[in-house]
Amino acid sequence: MPDSLNPTAVSTASSLGQPVRFRGGGFTVKRHPWAALAAFAVLIALWEGASRLGLASPLFLPPPSAVGHALVGMVTDGSLWLNLKASLGRIAVGWVLGTAGGMLVGFAMGIFSTARAVGVPLVSAFFPIPKIALLPLFILWFGIGEPSKFATIGFGVFFPTVIATYSAIDQVPRNLIRMAQSFGLPWRSILRSIVLPGALPGILAGFRITASIALILVVAAEMIGAEYGIGAFVLMAGNLMQTDTLLAGVLVLSLLGLAIGTVLSQLERRLLNWR
Amino acid sequence: MTLARLTRRAVIATAGAAFAAGIPMSAALAQPLEKATVGVLALSSSGPIFIAKAKGYFEKEGLDVELKMFTSAQQVPVAVTSGDADFGVTGLTAGFYNLASKGAVTIIAAQSRDEPSFPLSAYLATNAAFDAGLKTPADLKGKRIAITTVGSTFHYMIGLLAQKHGFTVKDVTMVPLQDVPKMVAAFKGGQVDAIIAPSTVSRQLVADGAGKMLGWVGDETPWQLGALFTAPKTMKDRRPLVEKFVRAYKTALAEYHAAFNGKDAAGNLVKGPGYDELLGIIADATKQKPDIVAAGLPYVDPQARLLVDDIVNQVKFWQSEGQVDKALDPKSVMDLSIAGQ
Amino acid sequence: MRLLVSDLTHRYDDLTVLDGIDLTLAEGEILAVIGPSGCGKSTLLGIAGGIVAPSSGSIRVEGEVPDGCLNPITFIFQDFALLPWRSVEDNVGLVLEHHPLSAAERRERIDSGLRRMGLWEFRQALPKQLSGGMRQRVGIARALAVRPAMLLLDEPLSALDAQTRELLMDDFLELWRREKTTALYVTHNLDEALRLADRVCVLSRRPGRIRELVTIEEPRERRQEPSAQAHLAEVRDRLWHLMKAEAQMADREIARA
Repeated sequence: MPDSLNPTAVSTASSLGQPVRFRGGGFTVKRHPWAALAAFAVLIALWEGASRLGLASPLFLPPPSAVGHALVGMVTDGSLWLNLKASLGRIAVGWVLGTAGGMLVGFAMGIFSTARAVGVPLVSAFFPIPKIALLPLFILWFGIGEPSKFATIGFGVFFPTVIATYSAIDQVPRNLIRMAQSFGLPWRSILRSIVLPGALPGILAGFRITASIALILVVAAEMIGAEYGIGAFVLMAGNLMQTDTLLAGVLVLSLLGLAIGTVLSQLERRLLNWR
Repeated sequence: MTLARLTRRAVIATAGAAFAAGIPMSAALAQPLEKATVGVLALSSSGPIFIAKAKGYFEKEGLDVELKMFTSAQQVPVAVTSGDADFGVTGLTAGFYNLASKGAVTIIAAQSRDEPSFPLSAYLATNAAFDAGLKTPADLKGKRIAITTVGSTFHYMIGLLAQKHGFTVKDVTMVPLQDVPKMVAAFKGGQVDAIIAPSTVSRQLVADGAGKMLGWVGDETPWQLGALFTAPKTMKDRRPLVEKFVRAYKTALAEYHAAFNGKDAAGNLVKGPGYDELLGIIADATKQKPDIVAAGLPYVDPQARLLVDDIVNQVKFWQSEGQVDKALDPKSVMDLSIAGQ
Repeated sequence: MRLLVSDLTHRYDDLTVLDGIDLTLAEGEILAVIGPSGCGKSTLLGIAGGIVAPSSGSIRVEGEVPDGCLNPITFIFQDFALLPWRSVEDNVGLVLEHHPLSAAERRERIDSGLRRMGLWEFRQALPKQLSGGMRQRVGIARALAVRPAMLLLDEPLSALDAQTRELLMDDFLELWRREKTTALYVTHNLDEALRLADRVCVLSRRPGRIRELVTIEEPRERRQEPSAQAHLAEVRDRLWHLMKAEAQMADREIARA
């Protein structure tokens, strides 16, 4: 057996020299799956405690138990489902309309330079208009039924989708398009096989933003003549100063946002597994 | 130096006012002005507060009252609850009673009310609905009516009308549209059959040919539209302040009533003493033209007496609509010990 | 297929990149183009492939195309130009999609290319799962699927490490042993030119002009043998001498600019 493999020899050698000190710790991202939950639990416990001890007035800051009670009330009397159904329908139709229109215009602007020359200043001019300011006009144009609610959400979703789509097309590597041209692929094939899938990451990132916008705008949309809907519910609770019910509605809205975000993450993981 | 000058100015102001009212000067001079804030809307229904402020009735009581302007009736009781205002005057909504049920606000005196022959809010029908047979307020049963929000004064006015004509609010379709401009848009677009609208808006709509007037709420269902309120804590801890405030308020209220609410034998409105001066004060505070203000001046009780039965009815109505806690005792939302009723 | 370039000049705005290029590629000839950065090598290739329009001059092809040729002039790219969202076989299939082929022939063209390049077991893989060398092999399989008459290779090995480069050079030699495909091979690497080309064209610094055309007498398949080394060393010295002067001057011009 050679000396170097002798354990005693090795240990003697290392005891002579100085051990190299490890200095590469920290600055890495580790997963702490329970930390977020624990932080939430502590926060809620503190909140409840503050209310119980009378440190916070139940009117100014309803305790989590009151919010939970209001939520349970919504579930048991069926109003949660009724409101959720109305809002989800509006979000779905409005979002699909705005997204379809936005992608169509975005693609035109991404591909044809004339469309872009016309479109960019128009989008810049119309995008920042608060859709809520247009509500009275929407009532005149689309009435106070569902169409004006679809329009409010659809308009809000349309412009960010246009911007996301044409920026996404700009991000499609030009070398892939040159490659396709050098193999004689026709224009339509290039669009279908290269531009569309290449723009998909950018478009999906846009979906994330427009889904949140749709959620925000459903509250605004339900300001107009809505009998049911989470937005209408939250507005009514606010008008009636029922702060616990108000927070219960807000909780439902944020859970809805979380659910939509999770669905989009799954979609991204499936469609963009090539990244 | 500054203090001396301030005091001198205060002395002159209070001296003048005291002389006019015949009150001994010594009481007013005894202490510096006590600060108080009142939340109001820039509407002519807040007129008595504007008058009390402009004519120095608060100062005469030793109060330095600051007016805080709000844009909707929901905000005023919230401001009183949060301590941003000591007092509030505004229309009574379900939201107000919810705050009252949590012990945050209490009614201490009356503000304006809907009263026969005082044009404050009107029922309007679209031309199409009118042609289809919507001719009187009683015909509103089964129709689509635009309101601001659930729990608003408009909601209660429909409830009152329903009580009078033997139907319920379930028999009409209330369309909540958040504010008056959107109600007008829906009305003009024929999205609803009718609206209840403030007098200036109503007259404009009729003048434009956009609709027909069916009547005035004051003629149909008189009720207590608004009130002066404060926090129960203020009532308990700063009772002298509330007493002074109500005294000044009642002085202005009586003056307002005398100038604007007088009638002759035939029932026509007669201009009372100080009419032009008081109208100027209100026009100034609401930033409206005097003739527009004059067309929609509401009725106030000269002694700030509240329609207690109507307040009880309001609470019971909201409770039956499920918008106010059933456990609330209607009598507990008011404390009229200072107003003396 | 022969390539005939005459008096070709190309300018981007007021910058002349190629100036008066006259060049002829014989049937089956492999011509390496070397020269300093920015001398217009890639532009020349783009013009030859019809994806860059020349400012003046003419570029033509003559001669027969092989049986089953779908895209006579075909590129192989430095960055491979693979669609990251498509599997290996679908990347090869992409360039056949717009041609009216029977399903069997389509399959045969894809499979034979994959087999030849040793990609058969990776046919379902995505580009991100492959090494650089494997990715370029997909690029070669894609080019082969259209049975080209002329290959335009734009620094095909520049993005690869030295060992992979050696392996792929062997693949190219094997390819040209079986098919007499004319090729224009742009590189800045002398070793590649010496291993693969029949002739080497040295371009000057910008504006790119032909400095010299050097013929390598030794046949490609014998260049690894000891007897060939003296000649190759001589050619190498000559090319390096030409290139070094141009590269140094190009460097100084960049520094000044």
